[in-house]
This record gives sequence, structure tokens and C-alpha cells, in this order.
Amino acid sequence: MEYDSILKEVLGREDYLVVGRDVVRSDALDKVMGKAMYTADYVPRGTTLLKVYRSTVPHAQIKAINTAEAMEVPGVEAVYTAADVTGNNQIGYALPDQPFLNAEKVHYVGDPVALVCARDEYALEKAFEKISVEYQELPAMLDIDASLGEGAADIHEGGNIALTTRIRKGDTEKGFGEADVEVDETYWSPHQEHMYLETEAAYAVPESGKVTVICNGQSPFLVREKVAHVLGWSLNQVRIIQALTGGAFGGKDDQGPLVAAYAAFAATRLGKPIAHVWDRTESVSYSNKRFPARIRYRSGATEEGRVAAVDVDITLECGAYANRSPFWLWRQTAHAAGPYEVDNCSVDGRAVYTNKVYGGSFRGFGDLAIHFAAETQMDRLAHELGMDPVELRLRNVLRVGGRTTCDQVLDHSVGMEQCLTAVRDASDWVSHREPAREGAKVRGYGVGLAYHGISTSRGTPDWSAASLLLNQDGSATYRTGIVELGQGSPFGHVKIVSEITGIPPEDIRIELPDTDSTLNAKPTHGSRGLMLGGTAAAKAALKLRDSMAACAAETLDIPSERITLADGRAYDAEDPETGITVRELAEEMYNRGYDPGAYGFFKAPRRFFDPETGLGVNYSVYTFAATVAEVEVDTETGETSVLRVWPAMDCGKAIDPLMIEGQIEGAISQGMGFALMENLELEDGRVMNPGFKDYIVPCSLDTPQIEPGIIVEEPYRHGAFGAKGVGEPAIISVVPAITNAIHHATGLRFNTVPVRPWTLYEALREAEP
Amino acid sequence: MKPLPQFQYHAPKTLMEAVELMDTLENAKPVTGGTDLVPLLREAACRPSHLVDLNNVAELNYVREHEGFICIGATATHSQVASSELMRMAPAVVDAVSRIGSPQIRNRGTVAGNLCNASPAADSAPPLLVYDAEVRIASSGETAIIPLQELFAGPKINCLEPNELVTEIRFPVPPESSSSSFKRIARRRAFTLSVASAAAYVEMDGGVCSESRVAFGSVADTPVRAPEVEELLNGNTLDDETISMAAMAAKRSVSPVTDIRGTAEYRRAMCGVLLERALHAAAGRVS
Repeated sequence: MEYDSILKEVLGREDYLVVGRDVVRSDALDKVMGKAMYTADYVPRGTTLLKVYRSTVPHAQIKAINTAEAMEVPGVEAVYTAADVTGNNQIGYALPDQPFLNAEKVHYVGDPVALVCARDEYALEKAFEKISVEYQELPAMLDIDASLGEGAADIHEGGNIALTTRIRKGDTEKGFGEADVEVDETYWSPHQEHMYLETEAAYAVPESGKVTVICNGQSPFLVREKVAHVLGWSLNQVRIIQALTGGAFGGKDDQGPLVAAYAAFAATRLGKPIAHVWDRTESVSYSNKRFPARIRYRSGATEEGRVAAVDVDITLECGAYANRSPFWLWRQTAHAAGPYEVDNCSVDGRAVYTNKVYGGSFRGFGDLAIHFAAETQMDRLAHELGMDPVELRLRNVLRVGGRTTCDQVLDHSVGMEQCLTAVRDASDWVSHREPAREGAKVRGYGVGLAYHGISTSRGTPDWSAASLLLNQDGSATYRTGIVELGQGSPFGHVKIVSEITGIPPEDIRIELPDTDSTLNAKPTHGSRGLMLGGTAAAKAALKLRDSMAACAAETLDIPSERITLADGRAYDAEDPETGITVRELAEEMYNRGYDPGAYGFFKAPRRFFDPETGLGVNYSVYTFAATVAEVEVDTETGETSVLRVWPAMDCGKAIDPLMIEGQIEGAISQGMGFALMENLELEDGRVMNPGFKDYIVPCSLDTPQIEPGIIVEEPYRHGAFGAKGVGEPAIISVVPAITNAIHHATGLRFNTVPVRPWTLYEALREAEP
Repeated sequence: MKPLPQFQYHAPKTLMEAVELMDTLENAKPVTGGTDLVPLLREAACRPSHLVDLNNVAELNYVREHEGFICIGATATHSQVASSELMRMAPAVVDAVSRIGSPQIRNRGTVAGNLCNASPAADSAPPLLVYDAEVRIASSGETAIIPLQELFAGPKINCLEPNELVTEIRFPVPPESSSSSFKRIARRRAFTLSVASAAAYVEMDGGVCSESRVAFGSVADTPVRAPEVEELLNGNTLDDETISMAAMAAKRSVSPVTDIRGTAEYRRAMCGVLLERALHAAAGRVS
């Protein structure tokens, strides 16, 4: 079935009743009032605390780990090292390079060496002073050039290149031969810290042959898998309950399983509940960051403004472990040409280890860096050609029938051009082609585009599941493994369920994901929560609807085709007065024997690719976004203010415009932070700014005026009501829109972010005649 | 989270009690807002055995005019000072304290505490320096009054003896023909430390600047006045030429460092820009 046609074909309506309308989320008030329960709120006073003892050097062999003295500290209950791990000590996500606890080597400042359990923080602190690790230090490889240099020390067996990627599409040399202008530049995209409000946390309670962990990951089922793996247990011995989560942005997808596994391991060993809650310093210093990347980018275009070829070379910095780098690098490789149809593409990528905090998942997942490069290149090409940057983009954007970097034909749901023309018109782009100067301040406009493949790539099987139960009183219980991280995806599912079953949204309760009772929906990442999870919800709702309609038909004595389910009632479409409430219907269903429960399982269409050329169908569908930004640069101080932003997005179908607005606004702030402020300061591999004081993220006063998000709806056939993911695509085009606007205002190009005041100030002085 | 070190807590009700506690207790620290002290305790940068909380000493909570001075009591918060009618006479002080930290910090933190913390980046310091502020210090001995500049002994080091308490900050009621301004550069619009800051005070007589004082923050070991800049301004009209000469001199007068918040070169250059802007704003405010 094509799920974008549910409305007409199943519901027989022209208009939505719930979907597409703003609904205030049922959790909003609790969160604002501080009543919502997060992981640490479940921990009873007096629970044994766990803290991870970590390496203090970036690269060394471990000669000895001495913990005996720490065990003598009053209040210390246990100290565990790798020697105590009886299950599996290898927890690498994609490659087997990451020990749960390190016994042989340490790879970055912060590598886990021991787990200390104690009755309070004072005892933990004392114990840490008493632990000593004897290291034989190795040369620290602190940047990609050092790691790739001759005679570099190997960080892992097999060398410092974790993996490589490539794409060969068309004939790049022929393409450059046809080009009239060329630009060849190298870009650097740095670390970014997630800075979620809630830090990593887990609370583990053991019982005989079982452990329950309340925690804050992004995939309770991946957490379960990792915990079981470390313990050497089967999946049904581990129960993961995902508490409400105070922000994740990808970071908790990677840290969630580790944090839960530390707590569960100690709890089962000690036979006592364990609380493991990170402080901000630990979170910023040791959790995965946005992977940095160096991107050399050569583009050629013809006089008519057609991009004829791109040649892209990506060096991704993994840090200490590969973690998600294969997926990240592949995504950058597959999106390398940007949202444009380029016949000739050559892309090479490599992921390189260094002795620094490792990279990992972060909103935008590789597409932020590749679009920063690709969209700056487009502006440079436009400049070379003397063409308007919007015009050049319009001549090249992907349209229906177009082929992506990896030669995937886009046969539907391609709203790139509509997004671009919409922000052009909304911002009155053509009237702002000259920078506006007033005293020391000068204003400019910039544009950025983005496309982002939704969910996972290539051959990874992609599916989702959900369940729905109508209770006797007409209330409903909804279960999904897609988690609430602040983004509200499960509330989108509820609207889909409500639209289909007629049960009002306020009568549908979302249960916390619990691996003992919730179906596996796969992770809440890749902007897949609504598209995949919501479609599973739709399948469950369609089944329940059949049962409800059949029961209503029997009760009302009319054919079931005439039953309409809407607004909390089941009624005769031909005589709306004849009907019963959902509450009455629920009771009838139990009495008459109609199934009140349903589950939905949805599998995404198959994707495939050729590893040799990199060509194939990489993603089910893409979300498209465009941003115009107006900035004001103070030419005396180098300060940049983002004044106004015009966002547009083709999200297939807006299930909840208000939540999309929330995603867009948050993404603009986070993208602005990356472009102008945020910087992880490292000294000899040590994070020097592990807190809000010196890791600067934008505050509300920095937020620009954000114009109403323009929603383009090019429905995706295989997703419920046609919806596509929103969370990640919202951030990607923000960064180049800002840096391109800085160029428009000042004539200065930056190939590295953040563009901080002193950087811009120095560039302005250098550019002075 | 890192635990707070253990200490004994004291809450005197009168200044006399407070002074006595400070005098008799070993290794005691006074606390008002605690917005600087608590993070220091957590980082173990400060390990007092006793905390003497001054918040219950009613006689220390005021912003008032007294004998030709505007006086700020030791427990007056930034919010209290920012909203005081009296402070309209010293607009640079309001510029600074109304933007320190966040609303929560301004509601808890005190101006006296901000000064005693002696951070080179303390935003309340440059504007109070240009008002020739003084600090009243109480101890079991004599009450002393010292110029504010002398309170700053070095980065994060004040000149107080272990048993001494700052009870008041005061400055002479400024003349009608005067005004002031405080400008800063920071890495975001609010809730962050200054990268560089400047305060300017001017008294205008006709079109001529009869008296000026300027001070800078985050560009030396302590917040600093710049007398050589003031000399260039005194007795001159504040035209573009004079102001730009003052800005040049300002850049020469400071000795910034490069750190996580900015480079030394940038900070030096910004002293000039901020001073120009503060002078224009101050002169513009003289009615």
C-alpha cells in the first residue's frame, strides 16, 4: 500500500482532522513545570554510585592497574577492571576496536580503565586518588596529519586508517574539460559538542538472572543488545526502560548503550542497584563529538552555469575509535555533490584514527560538513561566473527524475526547487543583492541548500514496529520503541493513530519504551522516528480501525463501509447522528469479541549499492531544505549577528507544523553555534573547556528573528501520510547560509568554522588595502 | 558530580557577630551570593573550613545615598543595584550589572562579591573604578576605607586579610554635568564572561571634557584605570581626533593575554574600539 493515500482511500476524507494541525503536546506543561521524570529522578537516595576511572594520557600501554588501595577506602564497595568482565569486553559499534574497559592500551584522555562503586561522592573521590595506573607512554597522534604521517604510531592494529569509501560516477576528467571555471578549496569542519541539558545517566537494578536499567539512550533495543553482550546474557535477561530524555542530538545513541552497560555490569556483579550519572565535565570531556573532517573540494562549471564535475576528497577524523565513522563517512561520500545533479563525480574518503576524544553521531550526521563545503563551492562558482548564487543553484538542483551523487534516480518527493524559490521570494532576495552599510556595520544575505537521506543507508535492513491497545473505557495505550528526546516524534505517531482511528489524541497515552513490552522500532536516529515509526503506528492503527469499524457496523446494524471514525465517535457516514462514542464502542468490542489490540510492522523498501563504484539506491527518500540568512558584521569588532533567517523544508507532509517549527528553531540556534561560536579546545588531547562557561552555545538573545518556516509537501509514497524526517535536515543548510552571508557582507570567505569575532577581525584587517 | 568539600556553616545576624566569627574561626570565608564561591569549592580551588553567610545581616543590605556618597551594601545583589533609582546617576554601573551573568545570577550574586572575587573580567569593576569607588573593610581592628583599585592584588586575588570583611562599596555622588558608559565584547549576547570591556566617565563643561576617567576589564591582571588616556581627554573637546588618539593610547596602556576567550592582539585592539564607543555614549548621555 502507498501510505500517502490513506486519507482518500481508507478514510474517504478530503481533509485531515488531526494531522497537519498544531496540537499542544501532552508532556509540554510537565516539562516546563519541572515535573517530568528523567533518569536521575528515579534514583533513590542512598543508592550506590558508580564512576568510571579514565586514562589521563592520550596514548600508552598499560603496564599495571593498582586498585587494592582504593578498595581500602571507607565507603568503597567495588573496583572493577577488564579482568572482571566475564561476558564480552569488545563493544565497538561498527569495527571491533573499542574495549568496554581497557587493560592493554589507552587511546585518548578519558579512556575507561576501571569502574568504581561507592556509597557517596566523597568515597569515589578518595578512591580515585588511590588508584594508580602505570603507563608506558606512546607518541600521541593528535591530528590527522600526524596519524597519516610517515612512521606514525599505530593507534589500533592494522594502521591508522579505519576504512575508506569511494564513488566513481561518469567521467570527472571529461567533466572538468568541459568546465569554463573551476574552484578548488580545502575546508575544515571541527568537533561539536551536543550540550544536551540532561547528561548521560543510567540506573540499574539487578535481580536473579535479570537486570533492569532505566536510562537515556536513543534506541532501547541497541542498549539491550550491548548490555546483554557485555554481560554474556541473552536478550530476555535485560530489560531497558527509556526515561524521558533531555536532549540527545545523536550523542546518546552512542553513549546510551555504554552508560547503561557500566551500570548494569556493576549492578549485577555487586548484586545491588547502581546509579551512574555523569556530570557536565565528564559529558563534555569524554562523550563522542561531531566527527571533524577535512574536505578538499574541486568543482567545475560551464559558462551557462551547469556544474560539470566535482572531485571530492574527505578525511574524517575518528578520534580514538571508529564508532559510527563508516556510516558517517559513507553519508558524506553519498551526498558529496550536494542537492544538485552532477553527471561526473569522483569522491574518495578515509576515516583516520587520532588520540583524541572519539567522534560519533550528531544531528546532520556528516551532511553538515559536506554541505558547508559543497554550498561554499556553489557560491564561489557563482562568483567566478558572475551569476546570482540562487540562479546558479536553480540551474543545477535535483528535480524529479534527477540522479544523486551515487546515481540514485529520484522518482518522486523532490521539493528542492520549491524550497529554494520559496526562501528567495520570502526574503526578497533580489532586492538585497548589495550589502547594506551603516557606520561600522554591514549587512549581507546568504543562501544554503541541503538534502539529507532519511534513515539508514545502503543494505542495512530498515523496519519499525508499534502496538496499540484500546482499553474498555475507550482510552488507548500506544507503545513504540521510538523514544522521546524532546523532539516529540511519538506525539506525531499519536496524531497519525488518532487520524486513522478517530480516538482523540488526548485519550491516547504513550508508554515509556520498555524492552519487555514494547516492540522494537529500531533506533531514534537518522531522522527516521516519524517516517519509520509513524508508519508502523499507521499500520497498527489501520488494523485496529478495521476491528473498530466492524464492531461499530454490527452494533449500529449498517455495512462497515459506511462507518466513519472521527472525533471520538463511530458513526454512519450517511447519517452522522447515528453513532456511538469510542468509549461505548470499546465496551462493545470487548463484549462482542472484536480484537481491541493491534501491532504494526513496517519495512522500508530495499536499498542496494555497488561497493566498487559506490553507486546504487542509498536512501529510501531525501528531505530537502533551504535557508536564507541575513547577517550583520561589525567591521570594527568582527562580531557577527544573525538578524533574520528564512527557512523552508520539503518534509513530505507536515504531521505537526508546530513541532516542525520547534525543530527548525532549535536547528537554527545549533547551526549558528557551529558557524559562529562553538569550539572544543583541546590541549595535548585534553578538553580544556568542559562546561557551559567556556564551551559557548548561543543563548536566546543570540537567536535571530526566524521567519515562519515554509513547508513544502512533496509526499513520500511509503511513509504514513507522506511524511519524511525533519530533525537533521533542519540544521544542514543553516551553516553555509550564514557563512555565505558573511561573504556577501564583507567579501571574506571562510573555509573553517567557527567564524569567531577575532578570526573575522583579523581577516578584515588583512583585507584592508 | 564533584562533591562540595565539607565545611561548617555560620549565619550571623549582625555585623558585629560576623566580624567576630571571621576573627575567631580558622580558615573562614565570607559568602553572599555564592555564585563565584560554589564553583570554586567544587573545583577544590578553595577549601574553607567555615563559611560565614552574610545574607542575614540586615544592616548590610542597601543601596543608599549617605554623606555625599552613593553606597552599596555588601549583600546588595546585581538586580538590586541595577534597579536602584540612585544608580541612574552612574549609568555605566547599570550598563554593567544589569547584564552580568543570567537573571538567576543577578538575583543572587552581589556587587561586593563580584569585586572581592577579583577576576580581571569582573564587569562591575571598570564602571566603579571610573567613579573613584572605595571599599569599606571591617575587622576586629579599625574600619578601613581603601580605593577600589587597591582591592585587586592580582588575578583572582584580593588584598583582604583572612579576618577582613568588605561591608560597603561607595563612590562620591557624581556632578550633574557628568555621565558614563560601559561597553563590552563577549562570545555571546548574555551569560558569559567579557572578552574585553571598557568604562568611560566624563564631566562636560561647555563642549569641553573637564574631567575624564577610563578603565578596562579582561585586558590585564586586574581591572585597570588608564591615567595616560585620561590625560589626553581632560581639557579637550571630545571630537573624533581626540577620541581616536585616546583609543590609540588605550591600546598601548593594556597588557592582555591570549586564552580560550580571545587573543591578546584582538583584546588590545578592542580596548580602542570599546573606549571610542563608551566615550561617545557617555558624552551623549550628559544632558
